[in-house]
Amino acid sequence: MGVIKQVPAIVEKFPGGGIVATSLDWVLNQSRASSVWYLLFGTACCAIELMATGASRYDFDRLGMIFRATPRQADLIIAAGTITKKMGPRLRLLYDQMAEPRYVIAMGGCTCGGGPFYYDSYAVEKGINHIVPVDVYIPGCPPRPESLLEGCITLQKKIKKQKMQDWS
Amino acid sequence: MNREELIQYLQDKFQDKIELLDTGKVEPMFLIKSRENLVSFCRAIVDDPQLSMDFLCNLAGIDTGEHFEVVYNVASIRNKTRFDFKVVMDYDGAWVESIKEIWPAANWYEREVWELFGIDVKNHGNLKRFLLPDDWDQGHPMRKNWDAPDFKRMPEF
Repeated sequence: MGVIKQVPAIVEKFPGGGIVATSLDWVLNQSRASSVWYLLFGTACCAIELMATGASRYDFDRLGMIFRATPRQADLIIAAGTITKKMGPRLRLLYDQMAEPRYVIAMGGCTCGGGPFYYDSYAVEKGINHIVPVDVYIPGCPPRPESLLEGCITLQKKIKKQKMQDWS
Repeated sequence: MNREELIQYLQDKFQDKIELLDTGKVEPMFLIKSRENLVSFCRAIVDDPQLSMDFLCNLAGIDTGEHFEVVYNVASIRNKTRFDFKVVMDYDGAWVESIKEIWPAANWYEREVWELFGIDVKNHGNLKRFLLPDDWDQGHPMRKNWDAPDFKRMPEF
């Protein structure tokens, strides 16, 4: 990662190097945003909407998004469904195993803030931002596939604005 | 054996151990008068060919706000009959005897009762957590008076 941080600085030293760095950013961001592979992680009813989004009617593939069953090959984790306190450490483990730069979408009311389990529940985590940093929140119970697509497009916009120096 | 015959049979046979409760439900509900009799009662209703209660449908703990209850729902697949019985106990020194030797299905239910209500299950032998996180240290969450820093009770409307 240190080299990647250094590259723009080196390029900037050359006359007109800014153009090269910006173009490199653009190419990299375009390719990353157009092939966001997401981790298979659905825990409740939202996962059904996630499956519907992946199926032919809504067709996630047109955003270049395909699911991966291993965190090492995934850029994005869509936490789709209720995350309980018992599940929290596992979610964190999966997140930690993903390669950087990595992104998190919190899909649905339960994941965003406890949802219908906000009151009178000892088991449900009231928002996964207590466990992992969240990039995009998608409200709804459960959100329709259109909402998820909108969330993913929002994430793509975010990715396209990033610079190599921002990669942690 | 229909409902009335079942009630009559149970009352005749276990008159010193159980008491019929008026719940208005289809299945008759009995109270085990003394929890020391629980295991012998369970053993008897399984072994008795007239009853042959071979299926433990459910085992659940209840906190009524005044005392604990452990409710057992049993059924006989062979005889197509079912009834419920329960044990009532105070908060202090709450325990029941394990019945997992009679119905192995009781194993996890009893662990659940122990974990969520803090009712000790004697002779269980494997009381380990499985619903709550392994490092849970906030008491027994299904108790009426349970509270925790991030627990939010539904406001009264």
